[in-house]
Amino acid sequence: MKVVGARIPRYDGVAHVTGRTTYVDDVSVPGTLWAKALRSPHHHAGITQLDTTKAESMPGVHAVITWKDVPLLEYGHLSALGIPADEPLLAKDDVRYLGQPIALVAAESEALASAAVDAIEVAFEERPALLDVRQAFDAESPKIHHWGNWYPHFEGEMDRRQIRKGDIDWAFENADTIVQGVYRPAAIEHAPVETQVCQVVPEPDGRLTIYSCTQALYFSLGVVAAHLQQPLNRFKLVGGTTGGGFGGKVDTATETMTCLLVMKANRPVKWRWTREEEFLCSSTRAPWHMELATAVSKDGWILGQKMLTLHDSGAYARFSPYGLTKHSFHHTGAYSIPNLHFDGYVVFTNRTPTTAMRGFGVTSVSFAVETHMNRIANELGIDQVEIRMKNANRIGDTSPNGVAYTDPSTIDTLKAIADAIGHELPADYRTMTNEPRAGELLPEHLVSQVGSTEGH
Amino acid sequence: MNLTVNGVSHEVGSSELTPLLDVLRLEVGVTGPKAGCHQGGCGACTVLIDGEPRRSCLLPAGYAEGTAITTVEGIGSPEDLAPIQQAFVHYYAAQCGFCTSGMMLAAQAYLDRGGSGDPEAIQHALGGHVCRCTGYSKIIDAVAAAARGDSFDLTTTAVGKHTTMSNGGAA
Repeated sequence: MKVVGARIPRYDGVAHVTGRTTYVDDVSVPGTLWAKALRSPHHHAGITQLDTTKAESMPGVHAVITWKDVPLLEYGHLSALGIPADEPLLAKDDVRYLGQPIALVAAESEALASAAVDAIEVAFEERPALLDVRQAFDAESPKIHHWGNWYPHFEGEMDRRQIRKGDIDWAFENADTIVQGVYRPAAIEHAPVETQVCQVVPEPDGRLTIYSCTQALYFSLGVVAAHLQQPLNRFKLVGGTTGGGFGGKVDTATETMTCLLVMKANRPVKWRWTREEEFLCSSTRAPWHMELATAVSKDGWILGQKMLTLHDSGAYARFSPYGLTKHSFHHTGAYSIPNLHFDGYVVFTNRTPTTAMRGFGVTSVSFAVETHMNRIANELGIDQVEIRMKNANRIGDTSPNGVAYTDPSTIDTLKAIADAIGHELPADYRTMTNEPRAGELLPEHLVSQVGSTEGH
Repeated sequence: MNLTVNGVSHEVGSSELTPLLDVLRLEVGVTGPKAGCHQGGCGACTVLIDGEPRRSCLLPAGYAEGTAITTVEGIGSPEDLAPIQQAFVHYYAAQCGFCTSGMMLAAQAYLDRGGSGDPEAIQHALGGHVCRCTGYSKIIDAVAAAARGDSFDLTTTAVGKHTTMSNGGAA
């Protein structure tokens, strides 16, 4: 093997340090028009008037598009997986988040495009907005989404991601104490130094070349083609050079609308978001609301856990049903908990739609589980590292969805952490491995949850 | 207006109040300086004006007339990399690369002032530059190595030293 363990140079290192790497904004096509968007100034409102006549008649303006120009207005980011669509490419009757695009203009210059956006006549009827995921989950809260305030289309038309494992009643009846906690990590903007940008060029053969900063090129291809109701071979996507993404460039944010402008103007068009747009309108990591109640024995065994998760999807579903699914499979963290009762909801708010960011759906639950583990250790007066090692996943232990772990690294990781921070462990912990449970580490309540690692 | 960019004279038609960044990128055709924020916040558009780092997005182009403007393209080429460029490659200090040209020009100015390999001094010199990929430690390692006058083997990458930063690494 030439590469594993070797310190190979970056294939693009020299290009990066000499300014030769071509990012989307560096693509220079003569005759390119600039795009600007009319965005919702409200978190939640009905659109009562939309008139683009004045903007269209301005000299130097080559195209204005609204929802009327989109062949298939609603197409979900997960529609290809059978998840129904809920988000219009351009707002039609109502806006559900601040910054939602309503119309786009393509003009000779950036300044002229902005002036044309200002010339679009639009009026709104403001509605109450829900900006907190827990508030949106209240039965009394106003409905802000046509599906209701949470996603109702999980398999079997369930309105939640639900996990039931073992015997939760036994765990709570036999616990010495119940430790509770509520954990609410906030939204995080990815803030890549390169803002969302794409450049679309009409080719003589009728195809469109799309220079995109996306992290998901073929995915974007499918989304663009579906909205425009065109065959995939109408589009050539050029990508792979992204000025930072971190999950925030998985959503197809710019390509489809820019293609529509190009088809209308028959000129190349570039749409580059401002830093302000990036912060206000691009998708973020979700805020989450997680409630945990854990049944524990006084000697530090976790007998069972109940969890309620509210995943703030923002105004539309996008990838959140997928993110919550990952979250649910990982909701015990690195620990073996035999009896589980988990309900997770993808909840709609009037926030910017949320998306992936470095461990989609999992970082939130890691924060909750690890903070909660310290709380349990402190309440029981047990060492924070030892309680983790005692309950750590081992070969044969099963995940919340019943998959047996074949080589979990929790114990080695914890030993390395203890070592790095100079934390003394008792002798029997220093020699602990991830070998299947036995003896004192296989108490009666864990016997039933050990599965077979064969076939994995 | 006449601008001297990387030693080459360019006659440009933009108004003197156009941000230098836009003149460089759209008229001169030099795309090393990046438009990360267009409001002086991120440092990706940094160029050297007579050797001093400046944010070209905030600088009226007219201000740069009669000066020597240096972009990343001007400090070295793929065939003849400057020491700071070699250091960035060797230390894996560029990940997505979007902040890199501005970051390196600030570092070049620091080296030209006779800056040392002291991580705190380097942090101060690069303080106005945002990088969202690297966590900064590899960048500081690279600048420190260049300040020390190290030579660099570009067929391999350095084992990260994970420079300890004065604020505990939470830059």
